[in-house]
Amino acid sequence: MQTKEFNPFDMAQSQFDKVAEILGLDDGTRQLLRNPLREYHFGIPVRMDDGTFQVFRGFRVQHNDARGPSKGGIRFHPQETADTVKALSMWMTWKCAVVGIPLGGGKGGVICDPHNLSMREQEQICRGWVRQMSKNVGPLNDVPAPDVMTSAQHMLWMLDEYEVIEGSKNPGFITGKPVGMGGSLGRTEATGYGVIFTVREALNDMGISPEDTRASVQGFGNVAQHAIRLYSQMGGTVVCVSSWDQQDQKSYSFKKLSGVDIDELLKITDRFGGIDKAKATNLGYEVLDGDAWIEQDVEILLPAALENQIREDNVDKISAKVKIIAEGANGPTTPAADKVIQERGIFLIPDFLANAGGVTCSYFEQVQSNMNYFWEKDEVLGKLDVKMTAAFQAVNDLAKKRNMYMRDAAYVISISRVAQACKDRGWV
Amino acid sequence: MEVPHYHRGFFNSDETLCKIGDGEIGGKASGLFSFQELLKNHLNKSKYTSINIKIPKFVVIATDHFDGFMKMNNLYEAALSDLSDKRKAKLFQDSQLPPEIVGDLRTIITNTSTPLAIRSSSLLEDSLNEPFAGVYATKMIANHEASQDKRFQKFVEAIKFVYSSTFFKSALQYFEATKNDPRKEKMAIIIQEVIGTKRNKRFYPSISGVARSHNYYPFGRSKSEDGVVNLALGLGKTIVDGGISWMYNPKYPKISAPFASPKELMKNTQNKFLAVNINPIINYDPLVESEYLIELDLSDSDFDHSNEYSASTFDFHSNKIIMGTGSEGARVLDFGRLLKLDEFKYNLLINDLLQTCSNYFQSPVEIEFAFDIDKRTKKNEFALLQVRAMFVSNEIIEIEENEFNSPKAIIRTKQALGNDKISEIKDVVYVDPKKFESKFTKQIASEVEGFNREFVKIGLKYLLIGFGRWGSSDEWLGIPVDWSQVSNAKVIVESSLPNFNVDFSQGSHFFHNIAAFKVLYFSVKNSGSNMINWDWLLRQNLSSQKQFVKHISLTDPLKIKVDGRTGNGIISYE
Repeated sequence: MQTKEFNPFDMAQSQFDKVAEILGLDDGTRQLLRNPLREYHFGIPVRMDDGTFQVFRGFRVQHNDARGPSKGGIRFHPQETADTVKALSMWMTWKCAVVGIPLGGGKGGVICDPHNLSMREQEQICRGWVRQMSKNVGPLNDVPAPDVMTSAQHMLWMLDEYEVIEGSKNPGFITGKPVGMGGSLGRTEATGYGVIFTVREALNDMGISPEDTRASVQGFGNVAQHAIRLYSQMGGTVVCVSSWDQQDQKSYSFKKLSGVDIDELLKITDRFGGIDKAKATNLGYEVLDGDAWIEQDVEILLPAALENQIREDNVDKISAKVKIIAEGANGPTTPAADKVIQERGIFLIPDFLANAGGVTCSYFEQVQSNMNYFWEKDEVLGKLDVKMTAAFQAVNDLAKKRNMYMRDAAYVISISRVAQACKDRGWV
Repeated sequence: MEVPHYHRGFFNSDETLCKIGDGEIGGKASGLFSFQELLKNHLNKSKYTSINIKIPKFVVIATDHFDGFMKMNNLYEAALSDLSDKRKAKLFQDSQLPPEIVGDLRTIITNTSTPLAIRSSSLLEDSLNEPFAGVYATKMIANHEASQDKRFQKFVEAIKFVYSSTFFKSALQYFEATKNDPRKEKMAIIIQEVIGTKRNKRFYPSISGVARSHNYYPFGRSKSEDGVVNLALGLGKTIVDGGISWMYNPKYPKISAPFASPKELMKNTQNKFLAVNINPIINYDPLVESEYLIELDLSDSDFDHSNEYSASTFDFHSNKIIMGTGSEGARVLDFGRLLKLDEFKYNLLINDLLQTCSNYFQSPVEIEFAFDIDKRTKKNEFALLQVRAMFVSNEIIEIEENEFNSPKAIIRTKQALGNDKISEIKDVVYVDPKKFESKFTKQIASEVEGFNREFVKIGLKYLLIGFGRWGSSDEWLGIPVDWSQVSNAKVIVESSLPNFNVDFSQGSHFFHNIAAFKVLYFSVKNSGSNMINWDWLLRQNLSSQKQFVKHISLTDPLKIKVDGRTGNGIISYE
């Protein structure tokens, strides 16, 4: 997991600097884009169930909104830092730009551990967050969404609080709402499916059939689950999946060479995505160390958990068979590990392209909510596939044309789009 | 057979066909795929320079996605239940297509803006011996709305509708009759551009046709091997559904049909036609196959200038039919200008196609086509829509003269179709001649279906006797059943009454099934040596009866024979 030295914001800035150099951006644009436009830090006082008071630290960062309202999730995590949120908001800007949706980048978070909070306490944090931020967010400014350890329920509490403050119905204020309460069909599947749409296109480009591939997946949350499902439907075989064990406070990998059965695993998975070790063993899974997912003899690696998971210390464990790494999580690869992956010629689908399905579908939800007219699931997923495929092909074409690493090509496309928007607005 | 995979630039490429998925592409699509090879390598297109011969672009959704759809939405239990067709269709509409294909489907809509035909292409469909032709739905969509979202929605609805038709009542009865397991049936779907031209908020080809290299209904001096062609104005559904069309012998296309007078000709030729409705306002109903179809009067084709090659004009001063549409007067569809002037070498093309395809498939064939002629755009587009092998029996059946004239004969005709000898039939279902009136034909159809359904359950084959055209789409000309409603009849008799003497059915679709199932078909006009011994039939004890339809169950089986070479048919008791 995350080391003390690791600073995601430094990493995001160094990635930006590299591409700014390639693009030859002027100093003004560099200064503007390597830092957030706005940052909000605040305290959220909550009366706990035992009658005591606790103040939680909350954040909202709006990195850039030149292309449209800021968009980004709200994370509940005990190790949350302002720098993590800043880095993630910057990545959101690039993510929205790379898939060509008219939104900017934002991110929020609260330092808390929902595992140790009752639902009422979590509701109070959500409502408190909105009370602090209501003047600076909204359908036309900044549209939050669920993220690590926040769900549709959290979004609904936030929406409710916002609507009470505003005195009107504003379903477009937030995305990730439950279906039937302003949510979009397909939103749950969107990120995981989006990852696989890009994997499919990469395989297609390499002339490899999905049936001839195996994959190893880190994480067993929403993204991983849906990615595994679609990849399996396409004929691929997932042989290993890792998940976080809440009780042991560490992760384990679950391996089955004949292929993991997603429905079978879901039956023995808790609400945080933790797989029951004993039951898994009974079902024929080999239970291994949490890092074992990375060293499997597979063609595809899908890091779909947290940031900073493929590092200098474990990148060499990646099998020679691996052809594609698709980053389902945000920032799972450190710059040092990234360099090794690039040198080894592994085809990398960078995070802000691979997992852009989530924000794309959030955008669809926002559009539907603002119209108060909702689409069928086929329509949502059809549009999502078209957007993701077009974005992948644009990045892949540029990477091939200019002999660039995929991450650099994706950055070049998105940063140039955002820089152009800032210029067109006369900001720089 | 290696069908290329779909890619998102397909509709902007020169390619003709491709598939989404890795499963089977079904009978119909396989036929089209072979057709493409045949066109490329075996037909000398340079002989017909004024005709642009093509196969419309099409994409097939392979059967693996049908499997995925059924499994993902847990549809089998409901699909195989006795829920009504509408309920099943609704359940399918409420289900999701596999997420791995919706992106590709979306790009089909992004890249097309003319009407699309969403056609079934199942594994069993059009296989040589058991043609499931016409059992499943084909849905046309206008695909003309400005909003891509709207077009995509209608497209997806149409795909789900065709999927649901795999399990409609008529299909399930068909499975039972043919001893096929519906769970083993897999549906591929063909998405094909509709051939035609936009004419005043409707879209259709000026001519549609079905050509067969073997004629099951040779009349006059025609021979079976001459083949037969049916032509219609507008969409080919008119012919496929057994509606009125212009039938001619392709070896003698200029010989007029034997109608007694111009008035008879006008009365008995096509006077309505079908088109895709591209009016912005349609009756929204995704559960109906004909949601986007519109039936138009012949006079509408005058406004559209679409009948120049198909219509002639009745001149009431001279009481004659004048070829073409140059003068004022009522129109009649005899395809005079197309067939008699033959400006495009169309006749040569049809004969060559029948010959080439028969040689290629080593069997008589049936070819469905559309020929769109539009003077404004100078378009002469001949599109091949489907090809399939026809069934032909090789057995020789002899009927001696004394047998034909036997006093024990209860039905005798010189106009029988098929070629077989049957001696197992003991059950006769007949329409009561004393009660028959053409205004009751719908109810009669329903009563016949009731008997048929029971016989399907117990596997009983029977002799069916009625009046007028079986399977007519016009209820005033006969009994409007579809094949599934009479599927267990082994012998079908169409007859006339003194006050109901219409021309017998020569519909195409229905008879393809009859030939494939070796059903013997007797046309009996009570004149000359043709006869039905009603006295004998009405004397037999009834097993059961409904208002118009009766059932008798004989102790001894009937002797039934048809000689396919002479067309003689006889049914007699022991």
